[in-house]
Amino acid sequence: MNVMSLIVRNYNKQPEVDFPDYKSSIFRAPKNKKISFPSSDTEILGPTFNKNIIGELDNNLTLNFAKNNNSPLGHKIIVYGTVSDQFSNPIEGALIEIWQANSAGKYLHDNDENPAPIDPNFAGCGRCLTSSSGYYEFLTIQPGPYPYPNRGIEWRPMHIHFSIFGKSFGQRLITQMYFEGDPLIKYCPMVNSISDGKAKKSLIGVLDTSRSNTQNLLAYKFNIVLRGIKQTYFENRREGL
Amino acid sequence: MTTSKENLDETPFQTAGPFLHIGCMPNTIKIDKLYQNDLGETPFKNKNESELITIEGSVFDGNGVALDDVMLETWQCDEKGEYKEESGFARFIPNNLTKKFILKTIKPGSFKGFDGKIHSPHISLSISSRGLNMTLNTRIYFEGDELKNDPLLSIINNCNVNSLIAKKISKHSYLFDIFLQGEEETIFLDI
Repeated sequence: MNVMSLIVRNYNKQPEVDFPDYKSSIFRAPKNKKISFPSSDTEILGPTFNKNIIGELDNNLTLNFAKNNNSPLGHKIIVYGTVSDQFSNPIEGALIEIWQANSAGKYLHDNDENPAPIDPNFAGCGRCLTSSSGYYEFLTIQPGPYPYPNRGIEWRPMHIHFSIFGKSFGQRLITQMYFEGDPLIKYCPMVNSISDGKAKKSLIGVLDTSRSNTQNLLAYKFNIVLRGIKQTYFENRREGL
Repeated sequence: MTTSKENLDETPFQTAGPFLHIGCMPNTIKIDKLYQNDLGETPFKNKNESELITIEGSVFDGNGVALDDVMLETWQCDEKGEYKEESGFARFIPNNLTKKFILKTIKPGSFKGFDGKIHSPHISLSISSRGLNMTLNTRIYFEGDELKNDPLLSIINNCNVNSLIAKKISKHSYLFDIFLQGEEETIFLDI
């Protein structure tokens, strides 16, 4: 009998959910301990997404909302990397969805109260499927930092939201990528809800100067690791033998 | 899949924030020319109305406020207990007036898992939002089903175990409210 299980999640390298420095967590973070249980088919299996849902411009945020050949404001960046599991196996066909503010730090969303301008040529929405080597790439605009109400007004560092589906529902990940060198990172309570320094650092996209210098844009590399799946073989032995 | 020791740490979660609709459900906020359909609009295509059940409910915070800025995702097998990669996934948000979400789907079947055990019909549910540094996971079971031998339910020794069981309202409809905090706090799972 083959028993499959997701690698047990290491909560020391994950954010604290009950983290009052991030004010919105106070009335939302559950207080009781989560229940652990052996992975079942439900967690090991997962939805996968067909190539035909992805449009030609879905990973090009500089063009996918631009009107009449206009360009969004701000400087262009490439964000790229690989999606792999904890055993370094590349994950093919992982769906990555991203969302972000425009270059002025404004989201195209009615609930965004930041008094910064909307960019009529930028939605801040993109998606793609990873290649057979787990590779992904987005062409977009550098998002601006922005103020938001927390403990008084605080500033979010520049970031891009990522949602990722691997092969298993238990691999599902929602996170944010930050930008190397941003002085606001160290003040951000959402970043600081992660206590492990190496884990925090893994969320920072690294400036790739070689790629930046050969193209008319800056390139940032952000590799993503989803949980691994272990397979253990048990011999079927009759009891009592 | 491999049996050796893993060598990389999982990337940490961060909150999905208040603007997750832009990336995950752009058609719900008037960014409607980018994607033809939002992901997970219908978990199973080509089903007759008579085959469908509805599961409705609200997500309550610690103040008892029903939230409308959360995103819910569900993953389930079909009525025969079979998982199919390209169906069974749904993504939805509560209505901003009623604060209720409604999932229209087929009732999943029970299945014999790779562990050799029989698992009672259930739907895996995740919740992401502003204020949640990690996505929360739980399960929806169904009142009226045989539940006492389910491998997960049978290890839960907690008076709130009923928080995982949708209440039957009529033949085809169920109620499943989610409480993030408080006396009735829903049981969340380390999946």
